[in-house]
Amino acid sequence: MTPVAAAPSTIVRPEVDESTALDKPWIVLVWNDPINLMSYVTFVFQKLFGYSLEKATELMLDVHEKGKAVVSSGNREKAEMDVYRLHEHGLWATMQKDGDD
Amino acid sequence: MARRRPPFEARRNGYAVNLDEEERHFVRRLVGEVRELLTSLPAGDPKMGRLFPPAYTNASGQDADAEAEYQRLMRDELVASRLDSIGRIDELLADTTMTALTAEQLNAFVVSLNAVRLILGTILGITDEDDDEDPDSPLANEMAMYNYLSWLLDSAVTALMQG
Repeated sequence: MTPVAAAPSTIVRPEVDESTALDKPWIVLVWNDPINLMSYVTFVFQKLFGYSLEKATELMLDVHEKGKAVVSSGNREKAEMDVYRLHEHGLWATMQKDGDD
Repeated sequence: MARRRPPFEARRNGYAVNLDEEERHFVRRLVGEVRELLTSLPAGDPKMGRLFPPAYTNASGQDADAEAEYQRLMRDELVASRLDSIGRIDELLADTTMTALTAEQLNAFVVSLNAVRLILGTILGITDEDDDEDPDSPLANEMAMYNYLSWLLDSAVTALMQG
């Protein structure tokens, strides 16, 4: 027997702003610079994003060797906050929509 | 220079600070200079460029409005946050009996030291990651200060990652 679900008396709509939900997510990039220490960059990735030492080191090496790495992604507000926190720590970070160059 | 104990060492309950009076004085002086620059230089001064980079990759293109908004809302916050951590390490170093720091205090220390390095590095025009010290350079003294700060920062970060 399949229980019959009572019709909900009110319809709960998920709170999604459709204009942003349909947008592509934002990505946060960290760019290589000649001043920040490799150990410091790894430390900041761990501290801000909770990455393991392995993951943080891998991202730091990408920044160092390839010139940049994507360190986080999300909606605009999250990306902007991540960029702010990276700037607070002196890293050269920018955000852009995923897929943009 | 005979090498010695690392300036910062992870301990069971925090971090040992092995800096002599001269070193504390030196770091306080540098930090004071950065405070001076942060409060006196106009926004957009090239010395400050590395401390206040653009937030959007396409800052002068499609995201120009968002960039302007970010700078309007966040720049003062960034200055305030830096002045706060600078004030805290200055206070800690002023206490000549201070020989240990908590993780939170060492974190503030690390962030401020890095800000000092960024400004000094920008003034020195550091472009090559393997810049060697040239004793004949007119900036040899600043370069030595920069390298000393690098060593200090690396020690603090290493201690925090161990602790």
